[in-house]
Amino acid sequence: MTTLQLARLFARRRDGDRLAAALPLGSFTLLTAILLLVLGGSQVFFRQTGPNSGVYTLLAVVALTLLVVPLFTLGVAAARLSARRRDDRLSSLRLLGATARTVAALTILEAAATALAGAVLGTVLYAATAPLVGLVHFVGHPIGSAMWLAWYWLPLAWVVVALAAAGSAAIGLRGVVLSPLGVRTRQRPGTARARRAVVAGVIVVLAIAASAGLRSLGEVWGLVGFVTGLAAAFACGLLALDAVGPWYVRVRARRLHRRAGDVPRLLAARLILEDPKAAWRQVAGISVTTFVGVIAGAGLALASMQEASNRDEAWLTADIRTGVLVTLVASFLMVACTVAINQAAATLDRARVHVSLDRLGVPGTLLAQAQRRSVMSVLWTVLAGSAALSGVLVFPLVGAAVLFRPLSVAVVVAVFAVGVLLVRGGASVAARLVPGILARPERVL
Amino acid sequence: MNPLLSARDLTMVYPGSATPALDAVSLDVLPGESVAVMGASGSGKTTLLHVLAGILRPTSGTVTLTTAGGPVGVHALDDAARSRLRREELGFVFQQGLLLDELTALENVAVARMLTGVPRAAAEAEAAQALASFGLAGLEQRRLGELSGGQAQRVAIARAQVNGARLIFADEPTGALDSRTGAEVLDLLLAAVTQGRTLVVVTHDAHVAARCDRIVTLADGRIEDDARQTSAAARGTEAQA
Ligand SMILES: Nc1ncnc2c1ncn2[C@@H]1O[C@H](COP(=O)(O)OP(=O)(O)OP(=O)(O)O)[C@@H](O)[C@H]1O
Ligand SMILES: [Mg+2]
Repeated sequence: MTTLQLARLFARRRDGDRLAAALPLGSFTLLTAILLLVLGGSQVFFRQTGPNSGVYTLLAVVALTLLVVPLFTLGVAAARLSARRRDDRLSSLRLLGATARTVAALTILEAAATALAGAVLGTVLYAATAPLVGLVHFVGHPIGSAMWLAWYWLPLAWVVVALAAAGSAAIGLRGVVLSPLGVRTRQRPGTARARRAVVAGVIVVLAIAASAGLRSLGEVWGLVGFVTGLAAAFACGLLALDAVGPWYVRVRARRLHRRAGDVPRLLAARLILEDPKAAWRQVAGISVTTFVGVIAGAGLALASMQEASNRDEAWLTADIRTGVLVTLVASFLMVACTVAINQAAATLDRARVHVSLDRLGVPGTLLAQAQRRSVMSVLWTVLAGSAALSGVLVFPLVGAAVLFRPLSVAVVVAVFAVGVLLVRGGASVAARLVPGILARPERVL
Repeated sequence: MNPLLSARDLTMVYPGSATPALDAVSLDVLPGESVAVMGASGSGKTTLLHVLAGILRPTSGTVTLTTAGGPVGVHALDDAARSRLRREELGFVFQQGLLLDELTALENVAVARMLTGVPRAAAEAEAAQALASFGLAGLEQRRLGELSGGQAQRVAIARAQVNGARLIFADEPTGALDSRTGAEVLDLLLAAVTQGRTLVVVTHDAHVAARCDRIVTLADGRIEDDARQTSAAARGTEAQA
């Protein structure tokens, strides 16, 4: 049988759990919509003319850099889920005698096809939401049609999303064992060495030095110098976070494990300890976001205190604030989607365990609850850790902002609160899938 | 003697299926006996076990379990109540997969206790004791993936008993094991019977069945044969081997 014939057979056999089938498609839809919105938004920044155009370009670059991490993580999660969803069908194909290579080709093909379909739907979603985003004020008036990308961006985005999906499906397959007896995510104990903490320490020292130099930079070069310095301090902070993140997550999870008094907590801790690096990666986008939130939020609150010398400067300050908030929302949204997708994948992966536990009389949602708890616990850990770290980096700034501009700070805090709720919503997807699994146990055994 | 578990006229028709998987099955299980359920593949063994244990609700018929609090109509309980009954009154050992890979051997057993409200420290102490009595001392902190199939099955047996379940259901408990390890696992299950527990074990293996007090044979969802064995006394000595 040719690969194409198999692919057709494969596509026809798709049935059953609607939610599980809809998830990869939905995640590619969201991914594309967010991607296009981000591109549209940064286009607005890039196209600025006038005295501050350089700053706007720089800001757009910073925002894009920030969003690349969660966007990439989301893409990988979407591709992984679509690869895993084929589990049962894949293994039956192997039993039918398809080679591992054929099966891999099919997986990649289907991931790309799903991604393409999702990308097209995502474009529709982009078209539907762009007018809303267009209401946001920028340089003194609503963005409006400036959000619209030129037509050639759309097919370009589709191809990129499809290729990325195919690529990460290929990579994802390496983490999955394809044997006739079933597809399983390969067990690899996560490592998170203390060595990372040392690396992070060094980077933090550098970053503190950089941020100390900020003020003098600002005096010499004005706003551009300030922003450049900020971006540098920021990049250092991010590197530090990524170095220390998994290690920190593991340390906190150990503590959670030691203190766990009930089954959901115990399980949650074990789920994190199973792979601290993955647990960290899942919400790493938030650490970036927290950085933006704390540093830029504080800086801007204070900046808005000084009387702007001219109209352009007043606009710039307002626009940076808008940009920060939008970036915050976008990265929380992406992390929430990533979490939802990863949790769905984990739940489908553990379908058999869910059925077994149910038979033992364990309450049906216990494991899903533990999964949610593990995500939220890492999220809080990461939020607190990043906030503390960035707070230390720009301590005087934050202190002053809280004192003199409580309202601006409150807005940032509110955005964070909404963001946490979004992630929590994403993490609850697992519990939604369980009743479907328990209703048809024979499908997983 | 009053039966521990009593089933009357059990019929089970799976949705979308024309032929019943169980057809008017009646069965009494006495306290302290070991019952092997045999039969061809598809004869309804697993279905019977699941209905008796309150995992599945029969299409018609009754299942009555004698508990410390008196007789309970298992078939009539709602999902939550049956779930609780399974958790608190019954023990299960299946072919594989009743344990959590992420947890250690100790935690897997302790969790069963914790789910009934026992604090973690006490639960872990009891679990450690249970594991030791199954020859697993020293392996408490191993994660499940780091145990052999036979060791994992022993953890499952420890888990099934740690709550003091008087009735243990096993479905092909030795199915995934080599014959020697399988025999060891069966020894442990039968040892539980000599301590006063009751065992219902589904098996394809005639050697396993031969060591039980009684063999119930199913064919096409009906009881074809129900025989008590006389030589089962020999079991006691073997179990200590
Ligand atoms: N969930 C289900 N939905 C529909 N039919 C089912 C389901 N589970 C089992 N059956 C059918 O019910 C009958 C009895 O199945 P059961 O699993 O009880 O057999 P068994 O004796 O345990 O077989 P085996 O020795 O292969 O495990 C079979 O014909 C089977 O196909
Ligand atoms: Mg069976």
